[in-house]
Amino acid sequence: MATPHSETLTILARSGAEALKSFGEALIPQLGALEVRKSQTGLVMVPMRDTAQGTSFHLGEVLVSEAHIVQGETHGYGMRRGRDLEAAMAMALIDLALQVDVARQECSAFVAEQQSKHLAEDHDCLCRIEATRVDMETF
Amino acid sequence: MAYVATRGGERAIEQAERLFRADMGKITAERVNEIKSAMPYLIDRVMGEASLYDEDLAALALAQTGGDLYEAVLVLRAWRTTQPRLQVAAPVAQDDLFTHRRISAAFKDIPGGQVLGPTLDYSHRILATDVLNGTPFTPAAVEPSSKPAPAYQPSVAAWQAENDLVDLPKLDETHPDDIPDVTREPLLFPSKRAHTLQSLARSDTGGALALGYAAMRGYGQAHPTVNELRLAEAEVMVKHPNGTSFSAGRVKVSQAEVVSKKGEKLELGFSATLGWNEVKCISAATLDLNSKGAPKGSATEEEFYLYHTEGVESSGFCIHFKLPHYVTFQSSLDAMRDAKSKKSIHPEPAE
Repeated sequence: MATPHSETLTILARSGAEALKSFGEALIPQLGALEVRKSQTGLVMVPMRDTAQGTSFHLGEVLVSEAHIVQGETHGYGMRRGRDLEAAMAMALIDLALQVDVARQECSAFVAEQQSKHLAEDHDCLCRIEATRVDMETF
Repeated sequence: MAYVATRGGERAIEQAERLFRADMGKITAERVNEIKSAMPYLIDRVMGEASLYDEDLAALALAQTGGDLYEAVLVLRAWRTTQPRLQVAAPVAQDDLFTHRRISAAFKDIPGGQVLGPTLDYSHRILATDVLNGTPFTPAAVEPSSKPAPAYQPSVAAWQAENDLVDLPKLDETHPDDIPDVTREPLLFPSKRAHTLQSLARSDTGGALALGYAAMRGYGQAHPTVNELRLAEAEVMVKHPNGTSFSAGRVKVSQAEVVSKKGEKLELGFSATLGWNEVKCISAATLDLNSKGAPKGSATEEEFYLYHTEGVESSGFCIHFKLPHYVTFQSSLDAMRDAKSKKSIHPEPAE
Protein backbone atom coordinates (compact mmCIF):
# COMPACT_ATOMS: atom_id res chain seq x y z
CA MET A 1 0.00 0.00 0.00
CA ALA A 2 1.31 3.44 -0.94
CA THR A 3 2.47 5.55 2.00
CA PRO A 4 2.21 9.35 1.94
CA HIS A 5 6.00 9.50 1.46
CA SER A 6 5.73 7.08 -1.46
CA GLU A 7 2.92 9.11 -3.02
CA THR A 8 4.83 12.36 -2.59
CA LEU A 9 7.94 10.96 -4.26
CA THR A 10 5.86 9.50 -7.11
CA ILE A 11 4.18 12.88 -7.66
CA LEU A 12 7.48 14.74 -7.60
CA ALA A 13 9.07 12.29 -10.04
CA ARG A 14 6.22 12.90 -12.48
CA SER A 15 6.08 16.67 -12.09
CA GLY A 16 7.14 18.99 -14.88
CA ALA A 17 10.86 19.74 -14.76
CA GLU A 18 10.54 23.51 -14.94
CA ALA A 19 7.97 23.79 -12.14
CA LEU A 20 10.01 21.43 -10.00
CA LYS A 21 13.26 23.33 -10.56
CA SER A 22 11.88 26.78 -9.87
CA PHE A 23 10.17 25.57 -6.69
CA GLY A 24 13.15 23.52 -5.51
CA GLU A 25 15.63 26.33 -6.09
CA ALA A 26 13.74 28.61 -3.72
CA LEU A 27 14.26 26.08 -0.92
CA ILE A 28 18.07 26.15 -1.05
CA PRO A 29 18.60 29.19 1.23
CA GLN A 30 16.02 27.92 3.72
CA LEU A 31 17.55 24.47 3.96
CA GLY A 32 21.05 25.65 4.85
CA ALA A 33 24.11 23.42 4.68
CA LEU A 34 23.71 19.95 3.26
CA GLU A 35 25.88 17.26 1.74
CA VAL A 36 25.41 16.21 -1.87
CA ARG A 37 26.14 12.49 -2.07
CA LYS A 38 24.98 11.80 -5.60
CA SER A 39 24.04 13.77 -8.67
CA GLN A 40 24.25 11.51 -11.69
CA THR A 41 22.48 9.82 -14.53
CA GLY A 42 22.23 6.06 -14.65
CA LEU A 43 20.00 3.13 -15.45
CA VAL A 44 17.21 1.29 -13.72
CA MET A 45 16.55 -2.23 -14.94
CA VAL A 46 12.83 -2.99 -15.20
CA PRO A 47 11.71 -6.59 -14.73
CA MET A 48 8.28 -7.95 -15.62
CA ARG A 49 6.30 -11.09 -14.84
CA ASP A 50 5.37 -13.43 -17.64
CA THR A 51 1.76 -14.59 -17.49
CA ALA A 52 2.39 -17.91 -19.27
CA GLN A 53 4.88 -19.45 -16.84
CA GLY A 54 5.15 -16.83 -14.10
CA THR A 55 8.85 -16.10 -14.71
CA SER A 56 10.33 -12.72 -13.85
CA PHE A 57 12.53 -11.39 -16.62
CA HIS A 58 14.18 -8.11 -17.57
CA LEU A 59 12.36 -5.89 -20.07
CA GLY A 60 15.19 -3.40 -20.42
CA GLU A 61 16.74 -0.37 -18.76
CA VAL A 62 15.35 3.10 -18.23
CA LEU A 63 17.52 6.21 -18.15
CA VAL A 64 17.06 8.13 -14.92
CA SER A 65 18.69 11.04 -13.14
CA GLU A 66 19.40 10.63 -9.45
CA ALA A 67 20.15 13.07 -6.63
CA HIS A 68 20.91 12.11 -3.05
CA ILE A 69 21.47 14.77 -0.40
CA VAL A 70 21.93 14.44 3.33
CA GLN A 71 21.39 16.79 6.23
CA GLY A 72 22.26 15.25 9.57
CA GLU A 73 20.51 11.87 9.58
CA THR A 74 17.94 12.83 6.98
CA HIS A 75 18.14 11.71 3.36
CA GLY A 76 16.63 13.76 0.57
CA TYR A 77 16.30 11.77 -2.61
CA GLY A 78 15.28 12.33 -6.17
CA MET A 79 15.07 9.85 -9.00
CA ARG A 80 13.13 10.50 -12.16
CA ARG A 81 13.11 9.48 -15.78
CA GLY A 82 15.36 11.36 -18.16
CA ARG A 83 18.69 13.10 -17.88
CA ASP A 84 17.74 16.31 -16.09
CA LEU A 85 20.05 16.38 -13.08
CA GLU A 86 18.68 19.71 -11.85
CA ALA A 87 15.14 18.37 -11.76
CA ALA A 88 16.29 15.31 -9.77
CA MET A 89 18.11 17.61 -7.36
CA ALA A 90 15.01 19.78 -6.98
CA MET A 91 13.03 16.64 -6.15
CA ALA A 92 15.60 15.71 -3.50
CA LEU A 93 15.45 19.22 -2.03
CA ILE A 94 11.65 19.09 -1.69
CA ASP A 95 11.85 15.59 -0.21
CA LEU A 96 14.40 16.80 2.35
CA ALA A 97 12.46 19.98 3.14
CA LEU A 98 9.31 17.96 3.87
CA GLN A 99 11.21 15.66 6.20
CA VAL A 100 13.05 18.37 8.15
CA ASP A 101 9.97 20.58 8.29
CA VAL A 102 11.25 23.44 6.18
CA ALA A 103 8.58 25.30 4.19
CA ARG A 104 6.25 22.39 4.87
CA GLN A 105 3.10 24.26 3.92
CA GLU A 106 4.50 25.50 0.62
CA CYS A 107 5.93 22.08 -0.23
CA SER A 108 2.66 20.32 0.58
CA ALA A 109 0.75 22.83 -1.52
CA PHE A 110 3.16 22.31 -4.42
CA VAL A 111 2.77 18.53 -4.18
CA ALA A 112 -1.02 18.81 -3.97
CA GLU A 113 -1.10 21.10 -7.00
CA GLN A 114 1.04 18.70 -8.99
CA GLN A 115 -1.12 15.75 -7.92
CA SER A 116 -4.26 17.51 -9.14
CA LYS A 117 -2.59 18.08 -12.50
CA HIS A 118 -1.60 14.43 -12.80
CA LEU A 119 -5.07 13.22 -11.83
CA ALA A 120 -6.62 15.52 -14.42
CA GLU A 121 -4.17 14.32 -17.09
CA ASP A 122 -4.95 10.68 -16.27
CA HIS A 123 -8.69 11.36 -16.27
CA ASP A 124 -8.53 13.05 -19.69
CA CYS A 125 -6.38 10.25 -21.05
CA LEU A 126 -8.74 7.54 -19.76
CA CYS A 127 -11.81 9.34 -21.15
CA ARG A 128 -10.16 9.34 -24.57
CA ILE A 129 -9.33 5.66 -24.17
CA GLU A 130 -12.90 4.86 -23.09
CA ALA A 131 -14.11 6.36 -26.38
CA THR A 132 -12.44 3.39 -28.11
CA ARG A 133 -14.36 0.74 -26.17
CA VAL A 134 -16.21 -1.67 -28.44
CA ASP A 135 -19.91 -2.01 -27.64
CA MET A 136 -20.16 -5.53 -28.92
CA GLU A 137 -23.53 -6.49 -30.34
CA THR A 138 -24.07 -10.16 -31.10
CA PHE A 139 -26.55 -11.06 -33.82
CA MET B 1 43.96 -17.17 -40.23
CA ALA B 2 46.48 -14.63 -41.45
CA TYR B 3 46.22 -10.85 -41.29
CA VAL B 4 48.03 -8.32 -43.41
CA ALA B 5 48.42 -4.79 -42.12
CA THR B 6 47.67 -2.15 -44.71
CA ARG B 7 47.54 1.63 -44.63
CA GLY B 8 46.44 4.41 -46.87
CA GLY B 9 42.71 4.57 -46.21
CA GLU B 10 42.64 7.17 -43.43
CA ARG B 11 41.66 10.07 -45.62
CA ALA B 12 39.10 8.05 -47.54
CA ILE B 13 37.54 6.85 -44.29
CA GLU B 14 37.32 10.35 -42.88
CA GLN B 15 35.82 11.76 -46.05
CA ALA B 16 33.39 8.82 -46.31
CA GLU B 17 32.05 9.57 -42.86
CA ARG B 18 31.76 13.24 -43.76
CA LEU B 19 29.88 12.31 -46.93
CA PHE B 20 27.46 10.18 -44.90
CA ARG B 21 26.85 12.93 -42.35
CA ALA B 22 26.67 15.69 -44.96
CA ASP B 23 23.43 14.20 -46.26
CA MET B 24 21.82 14.73 -42.86
CA GLY B 25 23.18 18.24 -42.29
CA LYS B 26 23.21 19.96 -38.94
CA ILE B 27 21.64 18.09 -36.04
CA THR B 28 19.87 20.40 -33.65
CA ALA B 29 17.80 19.99 -30.50
CA GLU B 30 14.79 21.12 -32.57
CA ARG B 31 15.31 18.30 -35.05
CA VAL B 32 15.59 15.77 -32.24
CA ASN B 33 12.38 17.08 -30.66
CA GLU B 34 10.58 16.94 -34.01
CA ILE B 35 11.61 13.30 -34.52
CA LYS B 36 10.50 12.49 -30.97
CA SER B 37 7.07 14.02 -31.33
CA ALA B 38 6.41 12.99 -34.94
CA MET B 39 7.50 9.35 -34.79
CA PRO B 40 6.62 7.85 -31.40
CA TYR B 41 6.28 4.31 -32.77
CA LEU B 42 9.69 4.43 -34.39
CA ILE B 43 11.14 5.78 -31.15
CA ASP B 44 9.45 2.91 -29.28
CA ARG B 45 10.86 0.34 -31.65
CA VAL B 46 14.38 1.70 -31.28
CA MET B 47 14.12 1.91 -27.48
CA GLY B 48 12.80 -1.66 -27.28
CA GLU B 49 15.55 -3.09 -29.48
CA ALA B 50 18.22 -1.07 -27.72
CA SER B 51 16.69 -2.06 -24.36
CA LEU B 52 17.27 1.51 -23.27
CA TYR B 53 14.23 3.65 -22.54
CA ASP B 54 14.71 7.34 -23.16
CA GLU B 55 12.84 9.09 -25.97
CA ASP B 56 15.37 11.93 -26.27
CA LEU B 57 18.32 9.59 -26.72
CA ALA B 58 16.39 7.40 -29.18
CA ALA B 59 15.42 10.45 -31.24
CA LEU B 60 19.02 11.67 -31.17
CA ALA B 61 20.26 8.24 -32.29
CA LEU B 62 17.83 8.32 -35.22
CA ALA B 63 18.88 11.85 -36.15
CA GLN B 64 22.55 10.96 -35.99
CA THR B 65 22.25 7.79 -38.08
CA GLY B 66 19.83 9.16 -40.64
CA GLY B 67 17.18 6.65 -39.60
CA ASP B 68 19.31 3.53 -40.16
CA LEU B 69 17.67 1.46 -37.43
CA TYR B 70 20.54 -0.97 -36.89
CA GLU B 71 23.01 1.89 -36.51
CA ALA B 72 20.62 3.73 -34.19
CA VAL B 73 20.17 0.67 -31.96
CA LEU B 74 23.93 0.04 -31.98
CA VAL B 75 24.80 3.58 -30.92
CA LEU B 76 22.20 3.44 -28.13
CA ARG B 77 23.41 0.08 -26.85
CA ALA B 78 26.97 1.41 -26.91
CA TRP B 79 25.95 4.54 -24.98
CA ARG B 80 24.09 2.38 -22.47
CA THR B 81 27.35 0.74 -21.47
CA THR B 82 28.69 4.10 -20.26
CA GLN B 83 26.01 4.36 -17.60
CA PRO B 84 26.01 2.74 -14.17
CA ARG B 85 23.06 0.60 -13.15
CA LEU B 86 21.59 2.36 -10.14
CA GLN B 87 18.77 0.01 -9.18
CA VAL B 88 16.65 -2.88 -10.33
CA ALA B 89 12.99 -1.87 -10.14
CA ALA B 90 10.22 -4.01 -8.66
CA PRO B 91 8.79 -6.44 -11.27
CA VAL B 92 5.95 -5.04 -13.33
CA ALA B 93 2.71 -6.98 -12.82
CA GLN B 94 -0.15 -6.98 -15.33
CA ASP B 95 -2.65 -5.71 -12.77
CA ASP B 96 -0.56 -2.56 -12.26
CA LEU B 97 -0.30 -1.52 -15.90
CA PHE B 98 -1.94 1.81 -16.79
CA THR B 99 -3.74 0.37 -19.79
CA HIS B 100 -4.30 2.21 -23.08
CA ARG B 101 -5.30 -0.72 -25.26
CA ARG B 102 -6.40 -4.24 -24.39
CA ILE B 103 -7.99 -6.61 -26.84
CA SER B 104 -8.52 -10.33 -27.19
CA ALA B 105 -9.04 -12.17 -30.44
CA ALA B 106 -9.85 -15.38 -28.57
CA PHE B 107 -12.66 -14.20 -26.29
CA LYS B 108 -15.22 -11.57 -27.15
CA ASP B 109 -16.39 -10.93 -23.60
CA ILE B 110 -13.20 -10.57 -21.59
CA PRO B 111 -13.67 -8.85 -18.24
CA GLY B 112 -13.04 -5.15 -18.77
CA GLY B 113 -14.18 -5.40 -22.38
CA GLN B 114 -12.40 -4.80 -25.63
CA VAL B 115 -10.72 -1.42 -25.57
CA LEU B 116 -9.10 -0.60 -28.90
CA GLY B 117 -6.93 2.30 -27.76
CA PRO B 118 -4.70 3.95 -30.37
CA THR B 119 -4.64 1.81 -33.52
CA LEU B 120 -4.91 1.84 -37.31
CA ASP B 121 -6.07 -1.79 -37.35
CA TYR B 122 -9.51 -1.02 -38.74
CA SER B 123 -8.61 1.99 -40.86
CA HIS B 124 -8.05 2.44 -44.56
CA ARG B 125 -4.38 2.91 -45.26
CA ILE B 126 -4.42 5.91 -47.58
CA LEU B 127 -1.43 8.10 -48.21
CA ALA B 128 -2.30 11.75 -47.60
CA THR B 129 -0.66 12.99 -50.80
CA ASP B 130 -2.36 16.39 -50.49
CA VAL B 131 0.20 17.22 -47.84
CA LEU B 132 2.82 17.25 -50.59
CA ASN B 133 0.76 19.84 -52.45
CA GLY B 134 0.71 22.14 -49.46
CA THR B 135 -2.51 21.04 -47.72
CA PRO B 136 -1.69 19.99 -44.16
CA PHE B 137 -3.24 16.80 -42.82
CA THR B 138 -5.01 17.57 -39.56
CA PRO B 139 -6.31 14.46 -37.83
CA ALA B 140 -9.87 14.57 -36.49
CA ALA B 141 -9.98 15.05 -32.73
CA VAL B 142 -10.96 12.20 -30.42
CA GLU B 143 -14.43 12.62 -28.93
CA PRO B 144 -13.75 11.66 -25.34
CA SER B 145 -16.20 9.62 -23.33
CA SER B 146 -17.88 11.28 -20.37
CA LYS B 147 -16.49 8.60 -18.08
CA PRO B 148 -12.94 7.29 -17.89
CA ALA B 149 -11.88 3.77 -18.84
CA PRO B 150 -10.62 1.68 -15.93
CA ALA B 151 -6.90 2.38 -15.66
CA TYR B 152 -6.01 -1.12 -14.50
CA GLN B 153 -7.11 -4.52 -15.81
CA PRO B 154 -6.14 -8.05 -14.78
CA SER B 155 -4.57 -10.32 -17.36
CA VAL B 156 -6.92 -12.36 -19.53
CA ALA B 157 -5.00 -15.47 -18.42
CA ALA B 158 -6.01 -14.82 -14.79
CA TRP B 159 -9.68 -14.81 -15.85
CA GLN B 160 -9.16 -18.01 -17.87
CA ALA B 161 -7.59 -19.67 -14.86
CA GLU B 162 -10.75 -18.88 -12.89
CA ASN B 163 -12.65 -20.69 -15.64
CA ASP B 164 -10.30 -23.69 -15.56
CA LEU B 165 -9.02 -23.04 -19.07
CA VAL B 166 -5.38 -22.50 -18.13
CA ASP B 167 -3.27 -23.40 -15.14
CA LEU B 168 -2.03 -20.26 -13.42
CA PRO B 169 1.73 -20.47 -13.06
CA LYS B 170 3.42 -20.33 -9.70
CA LEU B 171 4.79 -16.84 -9.14
CA ASP B 172 8.51 -16.46 -9.51
CA GLU B 173 9.82 -15.21 -6.17
CA THR B 174 13.33 -14.45 -7.46
CA HIS B 175 14.63 -11.21 -5.94
CA PRO B 176 14.84 -8.55 -8.68
CA ASP B 177 18.62 -8.30 -8.21
CA ASP B 178 18.94 -12.03 -8.89
CA ILE B 179 16.88 -12.24 -12.08
CA PRO B 180 19.15 -13.66 -14.82
CA ASP B 181 20.34 -10.92 -17.17
CA VAL B 182 21.62 -11.53 -20.71
CA THR B 183 23.44 -8.21 -20.70
CA ARG B 184 25.70 -9.56 -17.96
CA GLU B 185 25.72 -13.34 -18.53
CA PRO B 186 26.23 -15.44 -21.63
CA LEU B 187 23.18 -16.87 -23.36
CA LEU B 188 23.51 -20.65 -22.96
CA PHE B 189 21.22 -23.41 -24.17
CA PRO B 190 18.80 -24.70 -23.11
CA SER B 191 18.18 -21.09 -22.23
CA LYS B 192 16.82 -19.93 -18.88
CA ARG B 193 13.29 -18.64 -19.46
CA ALA B 194 14.29 -15.23 -18.08
CA HIS B 195 17.03 -15.08 -20.73
CA THR B 196 14.64 -16.15 -23.47
CA LEU B 197 12.04 -13.51 -22.62
CA GLN B 198 14.66 -10.78 -22.16
CA SER B 199 16.28 -11.66 -25.48
CA LEU B 200 12.90 -11.52 -27.21
CA ALA B 201 12.14 -8.20 -25.50
CA ARG B 202 15.28 -6.68 -27.09
CA SER B 203 15.07 -8.63 -30.33
CA ASP B 204 15.01 -7.12 -33.78
CA THR B 205 11.40 -6.55 -34.83
CA GLY B 206 11.96 -7.71 -38.40
CA GLY B 207 13.82 -10.82 -37.27
CA ALA B 208 11.14 -11.78 -34.74
CA LEU B 209 8.45 -11.19 -37.36
CA ALA B 210 10.21 -13.28 -40.03
CA LEU B 211 10.62 -16.30 -37.78
CA GLY B 212 7.27 -15.82 -36.02
CA TYR B 213 5.60 -15.60 -39.43
CA ALA B 214 7.23 -18.88 -40.44
CA ALA B 215 5.57 -20.47 -37.40
CA MET B 216 2.23 -18.80 -38.17
CA ARG B 217 2.28 -20.03 -41.78
CA GLY B 218 2.57 -23.61 -40.65
CA TYR B 219 6.23 -24.31 -39.95
CA GLY B 220 5.50 -24.31 -36.22
CA GLN B 221 3.58 -26.83 -34.17
CA ALA B 222 0.86 -24.51 -32.89
CA HIS B 223 -1.35 -21.92 -34.54
CA PRO B 224 -1.51 -18.79 -32.39
CA THR B 225 -4.63 -16.88 -31.42
CA VAL B 226 -4.11 -13.58 -29.61
CA ASN B 227 -5.40 -14.19 -26.12
CA GLU B 228 -4.51 -10.71 -24.96
CA LEU B 229 -2.71 -7.81 -26.55
CA ARG B 230 -2.01 -4.86 -24.33
CA LEU B 231 -0.39 -1.46 -24.74
CA ALA B 232 0.17 0.19 -21.41
CA GLU B 233 2.40 2.28 -19.20
CA ALA B 234 4.28 0.69 -16.32
CA GLU B 235 5.46 2.50 -13.21
CA VAL B 236 9.20 2.18 -12.63
CA MET B 237 9.15 1.31 -8.93
CA VAL B 238 12.44 2.25 -7.24
CA LYS B 239 13.56 2.71 -3.64
CA HIS B 240 14.39 5.78 -1.58
CA PRO B 241 17.51 5.36 0.66
CA ASN B 242 15.16 4.90 3.64
CA GLY B 243 13.36 2.03 1.88
CA THR B 244 10.23 3.80 0.63
CA SER B 245 9.07 2.48 -2.75
CA PHE B 246 8.00 5.03 -5.30
CA SER B 247 7.60 5.44 -9.05
CA ALA B 248 10.40 7.24 -10.87
CA GLY B 249 8.01 7.67 -13.81
CA ARG B 250 6.07 5.64 -16.34
CA VAL B 251 7.39 3.80 -19.37
CA LYS B 252 5.42 2.44 -22.29
CA VAL B 253 5.29 -1.35 -22.53
CA SER B 254 3.51 -3.78 -24.80
CA GLN B 255 2.73 -7.40 -24.14
CA ALA B 256 1.09 -10.25 -25.99
CA GLU B 257 -0.24 -13.59 -24.88
CA VAL B 258 -0.97 -16.05 -27.65
CA VAL B 259 -2.87 -19.23 -27.05
CA SER B 260 -3.29 -22.68 -28.51
CA LYS B 261 -5.42 -25.61 -27.46
CA LYS B 262 -3.51 -28.41 -25.79
CA GLY B 263 -5.60 -31.32 -24.53
CA GLU B 264 -8.22 -30.01 -22.14
CA LYS B 265 -6.34 -26.80 -21.38
CA LEU B 266 -4.97 -23.84 -23.27
CA GLU B 267 -1.27 -23.35 -23.72
CA LEU B 268 0.14 -19.83 -23.61
CA GLY B 269 3.05 -18.10 -25.28
CA PHE B 270 4.16 -14.73 -23.92
CA SER B 271 6.27 -11.77 -24.91
CA ALA B 272 6.66 -8.17 -23.83
CA THR B 273 8.91 -5.28 -24.73
CA LEU B 274 9.67 -1.69 -23.81
CA GLY B 275 7.70 0.70 -25.98
CA TRP B 276 4.60 -0.01 -28.04
CA ASN B 277 5.40 -2.63 -30.66
CA GLU B 278 2.57 -5.07 -31.32
CA VAL B 279 4.07 -6.92 -34.27
CA LYS B 280 7.16 -7.84 -32.31
CA CYS B 281 5.22 -9.00 -29.26
CA ILE B 282 2.77 -11.18 -31.22
CA SER B 283 5.60 -12.69 -33.29
CA ALA B 284 7.81 -13.31 -30.27
CA ALA B 285 4.94 -14.78 -28.24
CA THR B 286 4.26 -17.13 -31.18
CA LEU B 287 7.88 -18.26 -31.09
CA ASP B 288 7.59 -18.80 -27.34
CA LEU B 289 4.41 -20.83 -27.80
CA ASN B 290 6.02 -23.02 -30.45
CA SER B 291 9.48 -23.52 -29.01
CA LYS B 292 8.80 -26.52 -26.78
CA GLY B 293 9.88 -29.65 -28.62
CA ALA B 294 10.73 -27.77 -31.83
CA PRO B 295 13.12 -29.66 -34.14
CA LYS B 296 16.77 -28.60 -34.07
CA GLY B 297 17.47 -25.88 -36.62
CA SER B 298 13.80 -25.02 -37.17
CA ALA B 299 12.57 -21.41 -37.04
CA THR B 300 10.80 -22.07 -33.75
CA GLU B 301 13.71 -23.73 -31.99
CA GLU B 302 14.91 -21.56 -29.14
CA GLU B 303 18.60 -21.48 -30.04
CA PHE B 304 17.75 -20.72 -33.67
CA TYR B 305 15.39 -17.86 -33.02
CA LEU B 306 17.28 -16.28 -30.15
CA TYR B 307 20.54 -16.13 -32.09
CA HIS B 308 18.94 -14.95 -35.29
CA THR B 309 16.73 -12.22 -33.86
CA GLU B 310 19.55 -10.46 -32.00
CA GLY B 311 19.67 -7.38 -34.21
CA VAL B 312 23.02 -5.89 -33.25
CA GLU B 313 24.87 -9.18 -33.61
CA SER B 314 23.15 -10.23 -36.82
CA SER B 315 23.44 -6.85 -38.54
CA GLY B 316 27.02 -6.55 -37.30
CA PHE B 317 27.89 -9.95 -38.72
CA CYS B 318 26.20 -9.10 -41.98
CA ILE B 319 28.02 -5.80 -42.46
CA HIS B 320 31.36 -7.22 -41.42
CA PHE B 321 31.36 -9.00 -44.79
CA LYS B 322 31.93 -5.58 -46.36
CA LEU B 323 35.26 -5.27 -44.61
CA PRO B 324 38.39 -6.43 -46.43
CA HIS B 325 38.62 -10.23 -46.68
CA TYR B 326 41.52 -10.09 -49.13
CA VAL B 327 43.62 -12.72 -47.39
CA THR B 328 40.87 -15.24 -46.71
CA PHE B 329 39.48 -14.80 -50.20
CA GLN B 330 42.93 -15.11 -51.78
CA SER B 331 43.45 -18.26 -49.77
CA SER B 332 40.21 -19.67 -51.20
CA LEU B 333 41.36 -18.73 -54.68
CA ASP B 334 44.74 -20.42 -54.05
CA ALA B 335 42.97 -23.60 -52.98
CA MET B 336 40.73 -23.41 -56.04
CA ARG B 337 43.68 -22.90 -58.41
CA ASP B 338 45.58 -25.70 -56.71
CA ALA B 339 42.68 -28.12 -57.14
CA LYS B 340 42.31 -27.06 -60.76
CA SER B 341 45.99 -27.63 -61.55
CA LYS B 342 46.00 -31.04 -59.83
CA LYS B 343 42.90 -32.02 -61.76
CA SER B 344 44.54 -31.12 -65.09
CA ILE B 345 47.71 -33.15 -64.24
CA HIS B 346 45.90 -36.22 -62.89
CA PRO B 347 42.54 -36.51 -64.60
CA GLU B 348 40.15 -38.73 -62.68
CA PRO B 349 39.56 -42.12 -64.29
CA ALA B 350 36.28 -42.45 -66.09
CA GLU B 351 33.64 -44.31 -64.13
